[in-house]
Amino acid sequence: MPKSGVFGPGQLALHGLVLAIVIIAEIIGIIRIPIGIAAIVLLPMLYAFAAGIVLNPNITRITSSVLTPNVQKFAGTMITIAITPFVAKFGTTVGPQIEAIIDAGPALILQEIGNLGTVLIAFPIAVYVLRMGRETVGAVYSIDREPNLALVAEKYGLDSPEGAGVMGVYATGTLIGTFVFAVIPVLIHALGLFDIRALAMSCGVGSGSMLAACTGALVTAEPENKDLILGLAGASNVLTYATGLYVGMFLALPLTQWLFRKARPDLY
Amino acid sequence: MQNTEHMNADAKNEPKVRVGETALLLLIACIIGGVANYVSTGVGAAEALPGMAILYACSVIGLILARFVPFYLPSVGWVSLIAIAITIPGVPGSEWVVEQVGKINFLALATPALAYGGLALSAKEFAIARTSGWKIVIIAICVMLGTYLGSAVIADLTLRVLG
Repeated sequence: MPKSGVFGPGQLALHGLVLAIVIIAEIIGIIRIPIGIAAIVLLPMLYAFAAGIVLNPNITRITSSVLTPNVQKFAGTMITIAITPFVAKFGTTVGPQIEAIIDAGPALILQEIGNLGTVLIAFPIAVYVLRMGRETVGAVYSIDREPNLALVAEKYGLDSPEGAGVMGVYATGTLIGTFVFAVIPVLIHALGLFDIRALAMSCGVGSGSMLAACTGALVTAEPENKDLILGLAGASNVLTYATGLYVGMFLALPLTQWLFRKARPDLY
Repeated sequence: MQNTEHMNADAKNEPKVRVGETALLLLIACIIGGVANYVSTGVGAAEALPGMAILYACSVIGLILARFVPFYLPSVGWVSLIAIAITIPGVPGSEWVVEQVGKINFLALATPALAYGGLALSAKEFAIARTSGWKIVIIAICVMLGTYLGSAVIADLTLRVLG
């Protein structure tokens, strides 16, 4: 085991640091900030992420002797591992709600196509307001999490303009996605226009941390529907694992590319 | 593209996962998650143990399936399916499973992953976010808003039409 280098002193220090961050974040707990009719919900995971950034060796020198590039890369591996029990917990909220989920089945399946909503909103802004070039295609075609990134990498290469677009939204989403997904759902919920089931299943469109932030915020807003919210969001997230890549490959990316060629033929 | 390896599923990297090593690292993650759960809910180690053990088992079995089943589904997909299967009403033991995992707060389990996430961000990721500039930040927010809202609108309309 030692030869793989995943149980070295740097790695153990990393776990210790994470443990300390987690304890402090959980002691602070959930904070609600009322803004008019809605309340923005700050979750412990947000503080933990912020603390991680503050202590990131690329930001501060204090940790750079312990968190070497190798240990940082290992921290990247640990994200995937640490999110797995969370994913399991989420799955266990789906089973008991299976009847409600089957009742909402058509909505659950069709809302996967609703992911194309990014093209409706982000594409015109990128092309007509911000006058962006070919990076638009990579940036706006999907929520740009890992499978979507892999798709653009394969089709255009990450050093292309399209690749720069997808990387930019990926990195930005990694930095602020948790926060954005803690805020957007409560604001939309406060409009009072949407069925809570629709808002819950839409929480499953992105990464695990986006799912966590989104459902955490909705549950804080409607605690009486906790089980229903978790069950539908979890089911939608599982569906996204299965369909996300294919919706991107056969629908979203060709559509975005076609739109862009129509809008800016001068760039081809 | 080393900094895309972390976070969720990556079809090309996943088969390399060494199961024994990962099982140990998962144990560390579960312990930290258990501490987070204790601090946020007051549920102690002994009381949380069966629930955490169930989540741990789902995770390990999911990883193994993702590695050995010949068609592609990310390990998180398998983990979800197992967790769903053992909690469907009528499945033997499902009531007990639901009761035990009910003692674990789902938000507490997400906290460790994000702490690792903040610490894992590479110089390259900061550089990309910086050089992409404010336009990409605006677009990223539009993308997230559009994806969420698009899903919500279609889901809501479908629920209205079909009840």
